[in-house]
Amino acid sequence: MNAGSRTFRIAAALSVVALAASACSGGGREKTTDDTGGGGNAAGSSGYTIAFITHETPGDTFWDKVKNGAQQAAKDTGVTLKYSNDPEAPKQAALIQSAVDSKVNGIATTLVTPDALASSVKAATDAGIPVVGFNSGIDQYQKLGALMYFGSDETLAGTTAGKRLAEQGAKHPLCVIQQTGSVALEARCAGVKSSVPGTENIQVNGADDAAVTTTLQAKLAQDKSIDAIVTLGAPQAVDAIKAKDQSGSQAKLVTFDLNQEAAQDIKDGKIMFSIDQQPYVQGYMAVTSLYLNLKNGNDIGGGKAVLTGPSFVDSTNIDKILPFTKNNTR
Amino acid sequence: MTQTVDAPAPVAGRVRPPLANRVLARPEIGALVAAIIIFIFFLVLAPSFRSAESFFTVLYQSSVIGIVAVGVGLLMIGGEFDLSAGVIVYTAGLANAMFCWYFGINLWIGALLSLAFCLLIGFLNGFLVMRTGIPSFLITLGTFFVLQGANLGVTKLVTKTVSSPDISQIAGYDSLGKVFSSSFKIGPVTIWGSVIWWILFVALAAWTLQRTRVGNWIFAVGGNPDSARAVGVPVVRTKIGLFMVVSFLGWFVGMHQLYRFNTLQAGGGVGNEFLYIIAAVVGGTLLTGGYGNAIGVAIGAFIFGMTSLGIIYAGWDPNWFKAFLGVMLLLAVLVNLYVKRMSTMRRAD
Amino acid sequence: MTDTLAEHADSHLQKGEPLIEMADVGKSYGAIRALRGINLLVNAGEVTCVLGDNGAGKSTLIKIMSGLHPHNEGVVKVDGSPVTFGSPREALGHGIATVYQDLAVVGLMEVWRNFFLGSELTAGKYPLAGLKVKEMREIADTELRKMGIVVKDINQPIGTLSGGQRQCVAIARAVYFGARVLILDEPTAALGVKQSGVVLKYVAAARDAGLGVVFITHNPHHAYMVGDHFVILKLGRTALDKTRNEVGLDELTTQMAGGDELTELSHELGRQ
Repeated sequence: MNAGSRTFRIAAALSVVALAASACSGGGREKTTDDTGGGGNAAGSSGYTIAFITHETPGDTFWDKVKNGAQQAAKDTGVTLKYSNDPEAPKQAALIQSAVDSKVNGIATTLVTPDALASSVKAATDAGIPVVGFNSGIDQYQKLGALMYFGSDETLAGTTAGKRLAEQGAKHPLCVIQQTGSVALEARCAGVKSSVPGTENIQVNGADDAAVTTTLQAKLAQDKSIDAIVTLGAPQAVDAIKAKDQSGSQAKLVTFDLNQEAAQDIKDGKIMFSIDQQPYVQGYMAVTSLYLNLKNGNDIGGGKAVLTGPSFVDSTNIDKILPFTKNNTR
Repeated sequence: MTQTVDAPAPVAGRVRPPLANRVLARPEIGALVAAIIIFIFFLVLAPSFRSAESFFTVLYQSSVIGIVAVGVGLLMIGGEFDLSAGVIVYTAGLANAMFCWYFGINLWIGALLSLAFCLLIGFLNGFLVMRTGIPSFLITLGTFFVLQGANLGVTKLVTKTVSSPDISQIAGYDSLGKVFSSSFKIGPVTIWGSVIWWILFVALAAWTLQRTRVGNWIFAVGGNPDSARAVGVPVVRTKIGLFMVVSFLGWFVGMHQLYRFNTLQAGGGVGNEFLYIIAAVVGGTLLTGGYGNAIGVAIGAFIFGMTSLGIIYAGWDPNWFKAFLGVMLLLAVLVNLYVKRMSTMRRAD
Repeated sequence: MTDTLAEHADSHLQKGEPLIEMADVGKSYGAIRALRGINLLVNAGEVTCVLGDNGAGKSTLIKIMSGLHPHNEGVVKVDGSPVTFGSPREALGHGIATVYQDLAVVGLMEVWRNFFLGSELTAGKYPLAGLKVKEMREIADTELRKMGIVVKDINQPIGTLSGGQRQCVAIARAVYFGARVLILDEPTAALGVKQSGVVLKYVAAARDAGLGVVFITHNPHHAYMVGDHFVILKLGRTALDKTRNEVGLDELTTQMAGGDELTELSHELGRQ
């Protein structure tokens, strides 16, 4: 048993050394008091239950903010929120149906694949449950029976971004798509292309930062005429900066969506601007509008969709917005 | 009464097969031929492939896949699969980042703890496979799901977002960056430290396989574990050791990703597990185990790097990217098979 | 081969000294009792033949002796002290080498790698010490030639050799590494008459070098040619346990073929 006790003593010595060496380091989280989004009534005090259904693939930073907005709105209005998601259309339809079956008071749902979701939405409206659309489906929400819509027009966002790029003199932008087969992402690039016909798309593997960086690096090396890069997600923008450094490209970089790092990069001038669809607002408004509709019969939008974006974040307003990125609400 | 046995057969008739046969029979030759063909293919078709910078970019991409592929290849030669190899790369980085950020501790401590954690996961993979007898494909599939869910769940719990926090201001960031994520420029070309590490790991693996006792055991437990056990090879220890090698190399690449990119997305790494297996198979490793070569795996990773970036350099329509990749990899495997068959056919005459 | 046997045999062996003693040994696999109440002695310088029909329990007995499976009942003593082998490694460590019926070779690996599998020669003690490849190749080649096998290329995968050649590799391996006890499980099963003769000569040579030999076979003629002690197993129990002096070839053959049941059968079939 000598070997055993010796190993134990060595392990004990090592852990003491480790603890001593683990000099508390700065740069970590700020140890403040409770940092959950405060305020609002106690959950559920209004008595309403609202089902909130999206086509999120788990782990997406964009949808995370949508969820944060919805949860804050639920807190503020005293609503019980039931969140569910599935990226596959038939499964999302089933989620809507089960919400109807559990007799919720209101349903907020994305309508990215309107045909697949039509029958479930109809079941909801037939049962007298008000339905609100958000994030996608701006052209079909009324036909499906949804009362209101809060979202962004991806094509409009793309077009506007393209226009601003064209004003800056960009002739050959590269539009970086990090997820295959995403209707929303393709619409953004199509929008950019309609403003700047020389736009070219490229597919990257969003699940591997090193791969994104090398792919963009290779593309910038292959085509020296690229003068602008449009990324459709904040993490990809950060990778694009590295690719630009490696290849020595001077292309202008713009991105959709924000995160803390990207916000800092805007401040530092590495990213020209970000097109924010304000996902937090989408979530927040979808829930709040249902609350108002149930409580007071209100409807918002004047029979038209309410646009939450595009909202441009650039050097002119970054200072105001930067602190909000730390809360993961922008 | 002592028995005598017949006199031993004469030494005269010793035959050594011709050099060509011996060279062609080596498992990595097929992969090398495929690699050369693909290299020339892109040299011809893609002007921007022809520069030194592009070559080193390809090497870098190959190394990020190649380092873990070395471990996965060794494990496959030992007769097992590890489907959690892709996710564990990000588990390592996320664990390190979040632990140090939350407690405000030097990143070196976090890196070492992350290493211990990853080795534990490797050990568990191996232990479960050997204990339960359930195929490693299924056990590691379970590990893969658990890690994928945990990556996301824990990240959300700790940081309230789906990516790890900024750790560039925490002590140890720069020194760890030098170890795992260094690069140096020679003229316009950037050479990444990960390429050097990759070459080192490949050399170590090749030496182990061909020239050490452990290598002999790896071939044996992959080719016929019952026979191996019967003659005294420690089968359980060897297989568990192999799983731990995979998780060690996954940790290593995770450290590289963390100290290069600072923040990691919680959903990252998913999908790469198959790339490691493909690199090994393209490099001549048998799916059923017992046969393969570390250099072949390295060539397989290089083929992947060349193909995935060569398509960009050639300016082909990016929507067809995955299709092109699949076709090129199939061709590489077929070339490999053809060369191997040629070598065995020649031996017959 | 005699010189190999003499070289590798343990020099301290004394003829008649008990190497393995099994007392009331039994093994159950779940609900199935494969072996029961086995008493067996393996002495140095003697050949113990274990005979029996299919399913009699011969392979289970071998697995216990060679360390593949531990016994459930009884005591197994090696050199006087009780042991329970947890793995074949331990058995090999005690100088017990086995030629298995399925040979225990790895088809895709080279002949020399198979020969030295589990007992590789290394240049040092540290974990990644280099193998002495050249030496191992030469030794493997030489030992095989002593058995009369010429392998065209010692680097070829063992799976490309014929069944008989592979058997000889397995035997040569056991002889080379076996220092005290040599167990051969049906070694003549895949061999022709001439090669079987060679194997029997090795059994005898091993005995003369002082090793204890356990020889499992279906064939009572082969057994009688070399055996000093005969054990017949039937349905997991000992049906016969006699020395050479106590039993003749006829009785051995009859007992093996079924003994009393055979007599009954011949009456039933009614042919003269």
